[in-house]
Amino acid sequence: MSPTFMKLAPAAVILAGSMGLGGCATKGFVRDQIATVNQRIDGLDTRLQTTDGTAKQALAEAQAASGQAQNNTQRLDQLNGRVDSVEQRLAEKQRRARN
Amino acid sequence: MNYAVLALAGLALNVSVPARAAENIQTPGPPPGIEQNEDWSPDAARVAGWIAGSQDNRKLPYAIIDKKTASLFLFDAQGKQIGRTPVLVGIALGDDATPGIGGKNLAEIGPAEKTTPAGRFVAKFGLAAGNQKVLWVDYATSVALHPVPKGTKKERRQERLRSPTSDDNRITFGCINVSLPFFTRNVRPLFQKKGGVVYVLPDIKPVEEVFPRLRVQPFLTGE
Repeated sequence: MSPTFMKLAPAAVILAGSMGLGGCATKGFVRDQIATVNQRIDGLDTRLQTTDGTAKQALAEAQAASGQAQNNTQRLDQLNGRVDSVEQRLAEKQRRARN
Repeated sequence: MNYAVLALAGLALNVSVPARAAENIQTPGPPPGIEQNEDWSPDAARVAGWIAGSQDNRKLPYAIIDKKTASLFLFDAQGKQIGRTPVLVGIALGDDATPGIGGKNLAEIGPAEKTTPAGRFVAKFGLAAGNQKVLWVDYATSVALHPVPKGTKKERRQERLRSPTSDDNRITFGCINVSLPFFTRNVRPLFQKKGGVVYVLPDIKPVEEVFPRLRVQPFLTGE
């Protein structure tokens, strides 16, 4: 082995070691990070459940409103027909269609 | 370079999927049981789908009038398509009727008032001036569906109805004109007894504004 290599070998070993160790995270650090992420997921899950509940309630209300609107339309249809018939009977002369 | 191409392709895929999904919501094809070879406008297909899905016609025959394509689609009470025919509609663009227009003589109606109002109308057969039997679409505004009248020579109504294009089908004072054979063979037998529902699609207004239930239909049916 050359003397130059012998001189540089310890420095290379120290450098490699420090780089390797520097990239590792401690177990405690990882646990802290996971705990933070879990906390965020729990928060989001709660919010999602609330939103889901609101959406379901809104859908139920929309369905009820739609049913009510349908009933109203039905009544309006009947009333319109009656009004038109009365108007036609009362008219002095036949109405001219807008050709 | 290759990565850039791949990235762009990926981006294009991401963008095209929601766009296509949105397109499907806005422009569904004609509902089942309706002739697929007809060139339905997106709005007409949407309205037809809604009526079939919600049975909004309440077991009555119905007609969908698409003013933009000057077409009438006719259905029986069960929602089966009976036919399609060209129509003549009001010469003026617009979806509303001027208040009080029903009481005016034809000569008193101004050019901008000659609209065919858009909306959902419960139509019934009745007599119009001159003992003419018409399908009253909106009696209050004097809008009826009837065979093409003779009209004036200048109006060329028959020619307009026969021409292959829909661009020249705006000529009436607001009424909806169909050919005499279509009226006597299809419209009269269907609507004479109990009447029916006529859906007139808008020229200018958004279709959801004229038929608000279109907005909620996808949620109600879980589509």
